[in-house]
Amino acid sequence: MKQESRAVCALLSVWLTAGMALTSAVRAADADEVEILFVGDQGRSAWEGASQGLIEANLQGKFLGKTFRLTQLPGAGEILKESKPAAVVVAGDATTLRQVADTLPGVPVFNVGLDDDAIRQQCGGNILHVLPSQAMKRDALSQWKTKNPESDARALAWHSSAKKYSGTQLNDRYMKSFGKPMDDEAWAGWAAVKMLADTVVRTQSSDPGKLLDFLRNDLEFDGQKGADMSYRKNGQLRQPILIVEGGKVVGEAPVVGVAQSIEDLDSLGNVECK
Amino acid sequence: MKRLTLAVLMLAALSACSEKKQPESAATGPAETQQAAPAATEAPASAPEASAATAPATSAAETQASAAAAPETSAAETQAAAAPAAAGGPTGRVFVTNEKGNSVSVIDPATNAVIGTIDVGIQPRGIGKSPDGSEIYVALGEEGKIAVIDPKEMKLVRKFDSGPDPEAFGVHPDGNIYISMENDAKAAVYNPKTGEQIALVDVGLEPEGVAVSPDGSKVIVTSESTNMLHVISVPDHKLVANILVGSRPRAATFSKDGKWAYASAEIGGEVKRVDMTTYKVDKVTSIGEEDAKPKDVMLSNDQKTLYVAGGRANKIFIFDAESMALKGSIPVGNRVWGLALSKDGSRLYTTDGGSDQISVIDTAKNEVIATIPVGKAPWGVVVDD
Repeated sequence: MKQESRAVCALLSVWLTAGMALTSAVRAADADEVEILFVGDQGRSAWEGASQGLIEANLQGKFLGKTFRLTQLPGAGEILKESKPAAVVVAGDATTLRQVADTLPGVPVFNVGLDDDAIRQQCGGNILHVLPSQAMKRDALSQWKTKNPESDARALAWHSSAKKYSGTQLNDRYMKSFGKPMDDEAWAGWAAVKMLADTVVRTQSSDPGKLLDFLRNDLEFDGQKGADMSYRKNGQLRQPILIVEGGKVVGEAPVVGVAQSIEDLDSLGNVECK
Repeated sequence: MKRLTLAVLMLAALSACSEKKQPESAATGPAETQQAAPAATEAPASAPEASAATAPATSAAETQASAAAAPETSAAETQAAAAPAAAGGPTGRVFVTNEKGNSVSVIDPATNAVIGTIDVGIQPRGIGKSPDGSEIYVALGEEGKIAVIDPKEMKLVRKFDSGPDPEAFGVHPDGNIYISMENDAKAAVYNPKTGEQIALVDVGLEPEGVAVSPDGSKVIVTSESTNMLHVISVPDHKLVANILVGSRPRAATFSKDGKWAYASAEIGGEVKRVDMTTYKVDKVTSIGEEDAKPKDVMLSNDQKTLYVAGGRANKIFIFDAESMALKGSIPVGNRVWGLALSKDGSRLYTTDGGSDQISVIDTAKNEVIATIPVGKAPWGVVVDD
């Protein structure tokens, strides 16, 4: 089957999940159904990543009696007053991100589209930055270049050639669904929905406040990069960074021998809360 | 009403998608089917759902073809064998899969020397022996096959198709094997004598560890990317429980009385003890070392000690199996994953994947008494005793 039609089928299956969820919501309000909003353009890979996350969330949920639904909105203005999502995934500019966070106080808001350092200076709000910051990528590259001075590598959150830590499996699943390689935004969208779903089944709650509390304090997320991921005080997800050169993953940061260990995730772009 | 009509139309369109996909996706279909599953089910499944399905048996012709295509073991390697074991009894040998060496190393435990290397096929990982000890099975991930070795002759005798990417498996007392199909979110049940597939069970993403209860009534499959232990009942092959555990569960083992299961969580860096009568987590112990990425778990013969392979901590962690208190650790080679215990319980063998070696631990002293170089990236180990 051609890649385009494969992607259409995958999108259709995601859309269908949402469609059927709506019909069942009309029949009876279902306490076990969890709504996640996606604010951003469906043309961005973050949407496909989030849709992949939804497929996997529902695969986990079916064993534990939870159904997840992902609803896309083009902008923050479209969020309805009566809307009570468990969380929001945002792939937009800084204004949109802020607007969503202010419209839904206390609701986890995942930033999957921006790597700006400036928006990571605030601590203690409801924004969770899934993408690594520019500072984290700078530090990753600088650690790498300490050992490989001639390298012209790039530092990325994800790459379609990632193999270790079951990276192959995640890349294969995404390729099968959408017929294209997984990139940084797609990984972040996937990770946001997946960690939210895992938090829902662990807390057995879809209360946004409880979820935000767990995400900020108790998360042990497997982002398929070999490390236990959790959030810093400023809402930034601690994570390894992939070092990519010549279209292939050649290493990962923290770089062993430069950082204390591969687990020393705070050696990458840490920001102290004021 | 409109919504319902729309949903029906969408369902029809989706099923057209699925139908079109089928011819090309014999190898890749199941994951795609699962995407549709949540939508096709009207109400969310509130109870664990039975999902066993019988799949067509592998044809005899295919089995023969794959056996014929198998690489021949060289005469030299076979001749390297030490004195043949007594007829009928187990060989006592230790068999190790080398994931990147595409081979199985055979070790004589009396001398701790490698006495043979069997080229089995691409990406050998999980390994186990038949209940009567007459055959050793090896899961070949890349090939989508199970290789069968004669432990006495140290020869590859046949292969059969298992579906794509078999990783680990457990051998049931009745002789069937329960295989985790890493890419398909399924557990497959095969009769290794005939190569016939007996059942396929839907489990979570990236299934890996398999444990069979001593009485054969239950099989646990861990799903690494869904963070669960799935409990399958035998012989009806239904999911009877799905137990949420730590992040990236990789392996599990039963106590001899079948009451407890112990499971590792690689990213969570912890080991959980689960009550297998209530399916509730009983105790959790965090290893507490950042580098510890626990993989295989194994109980001592007296059931009092739990050994946990520590991954890139390059150690075996020792726990009190009752209190789950950490008692100590034994340094071994790099990236230790696989564990096997000799029948008398005196020796623990570990696969040190990053060091291309096996460590041999004397369990009376909890010390490494030998390291044995094997092939590239050793993964699994079993003792034929």
